Amino acid sequence: MLDILIRNGRIVDGTGLPAFHGDIGIQGGRLARVGGQLTGPARHEIDACGQVVAPGFIDPHTHFDAQLMWDAQARPALEHGVTTVVNGNCSLSLAPLRAEHRPKLVSMFQQIEEMPDAAFDGAFAWEWESFADYVAALRGRVALNVAPLAGHSPLRMWVMGGAEAQKRAATPDEIRAMQDLLRDCLEAGAVGLSTSYVDMDENLFPVPSRFAHFEEIDALAAVLGEYGRMLQVVPEFYNTDITLARVDQLAELSLRHGIPTTFSPLFDSAVMPENVSRVLDRVGEQFQRGARVWPQVQTRPIDISFNLEVASLFFIALPAWYLTLRMPRDRKLAALGDPGTRQGLIDAAEPGGDTQRFAHLRVRDSRDASLIGRNLGEIAKERSTTPAAALIDLSLDEDLGVHFLSANMGHEDPSRIGPLIANDLVHVGASDAGAHIQSFATYGDTGYLFSEFVRKGHHLSLEHAVRKITGETAQIWGIPDRGLLRSGMAADVVVFDPETIARGDERPAHDMPENGMRYVREARGVDTVIVNGELTWSAKGGYTDARPGVVANA
Amino acid sequence: MSELTEQRRFVTPEPDEDWPALAERALPGEPSAEAIEKLRGWNLHLFVRNPPGVLLGSDVIFVEAPRVVTGRYEGLGS
Repeated sequence: MLDILIRNGRIVDGTGLPAFHGDIGIQGGRLARVGGQLTGPARHEIDACGQVVAPGFIDPHTHFDAQLMWDAQARPALEHGVTTVVNGNCSLSLAPLRAEHRPKLVSMFQQIEEMPDAAFDGAFAWEWESFADYVAALRGRVALNVAPLAGHSPLRMWVMGGAEAQKRAATPDEIRAMQDLLRDCLEAGAVGLSTSYVDMDENLFPVPSRFAHFEEIDALAAVLGEYGRMLQVVPEFYNTDITLARVDQLAELSLRHGIPTTFSPLFDSAVMPENVSRVLDRVGEQFQRGARVWPQVQTRPIDISFNLEVASLFFIALPAWYLTLRMPRDRKLAALGDPGTRQGLIDAAEPGGDTQRFAHLRVRDSRDASLIGRNLGEIAKERSTTPAAALIDLSLDEDLGVHFLSANMGHEDPSRIGPLIANDLVHVGASDAGAHIQSFATYGDTGYLFSEFVRKGHHLSLEHAVRKITGETAQIWGIPDRGLLRSGMAADVVVFDPETIARGDERPAHDMPENGMRYVREARGVDTVIVNGELTWSAKGGYTDARPGVVANA
Repeated sequence: MSELTEQRRFVTPEPDEDWPALAERALPGEPSAEAIEKLRGWNLHLFVRNPPGVLLGSDVIFVEAPRVVTGRYEGLGS
């Protein structure tokens, strides 16, 4: 008897080949039959008439590391159809990590990924140090599959100590020790190594990975080559020339050690209109040489939401604001209410009386419904003040509870992004899911791919879009047994309506530990999500108690 | 194996290398002060950090001025 029988679906199998109609049978966590008419019987039947049946989506750039320890389903990613996540990106992972280095790593996560204290502090029992023990802690605990990267920064801290890791080059002995440690991680199931060339810690000091000389990363890439595993990096994405230099470095490592590499993000923006074109030229040349250097491109435009409760990414280029917003709440409220500090902030945001920087910000949530949807430019004019002053005043009026939206800050032109994500050299990813949770919702990029670039823009066919986030992702990362609907493979399956799948509206939610706030988007048009043959979410029944997720490479 | 088009040249720091040593390696034969000043001009991204000019092992250091280039890729829309 089958465990699950999905009838009458439009099967899009993840290869990019044309869809076909048929049934799918699942037994023992595996795809028993794909296509044809199955007679059953089955313990559970799903009528997929009018719906697409596809492999579960794979998200290659997430920061669900901590969240998975207190939220087995990585909500709301799972309900969007995501059945496998790569975590440990950008040089940061929860293992390998000595207990004494946990506070430092948590501080880096908080600074870089805007994770609140509550996501770590007391939210889960941190009982592992080695990568193998971390993998063991995930077993039986998660509802979706995890393909974890080992982070370069904790790797350095383990071998060199926390202080030395952020100070100097590693010695040859230390590099050998890091190689051994990385080998242990890969043996335990790490899908690769992540490193960062841009990130800063809680003191705005470069993270440990940035102190590594090329010899160190070369030695670590040699270990990746023993296993054919991935090197992921965050390049200086704000500067095209440096990004091109990173592409060349990655290509050399890829060719020398026979490894796949990926860098994220690659953005399109009006500020650097030649960026994507120049980077793709170079990536194409490197692929011609036989290197594998995959640029990750996100589907969604860059929008940032914030309130003044937190030091949002939005203020990173305004140090006076950023440092004020990092203050403890009482001090922050006093500072914002202090006439001298207030004027200093206004002057910093509006130098020479130029009020453009905040004028476009829209009020997205307020107790005063008449403000919602209006921009600060017009509100300020009405109040005979400036947008920066209005931002402070509105926030203080509601005890910092007003939320603002800075929309379309880049990567927002569908006529450019559509062809870009359809490009064969582009890896669809870079969602950053689970990070920056108080600046924007990092969920639903897959739904947005279908709604914006399949249905609306026709830049990709349905089959092409599915392949981009399933079979192609598994192939690029070397994730075995997933990404396709093929008999015998793991039964990760999503059933969705191709006419309605989309991302929901962004909204603030207070569902973090200790009632913490984050921005989320619910799924639209997804019907059923199956992981390793078990029902994990359905539109009718919501989340189930099943915990079928595995560590994909273990 | 396909040929690569020429790109802006760069180096990465050697362990314990400072700006004078790097300038000597990258721009041999040039007076040290002038070479450092050139490198500074071509690598402003390293001088907007705190402390300015501190070298990290992973840094990309350009050893020539930016080139005037445009992308050839025409896959993007308008």
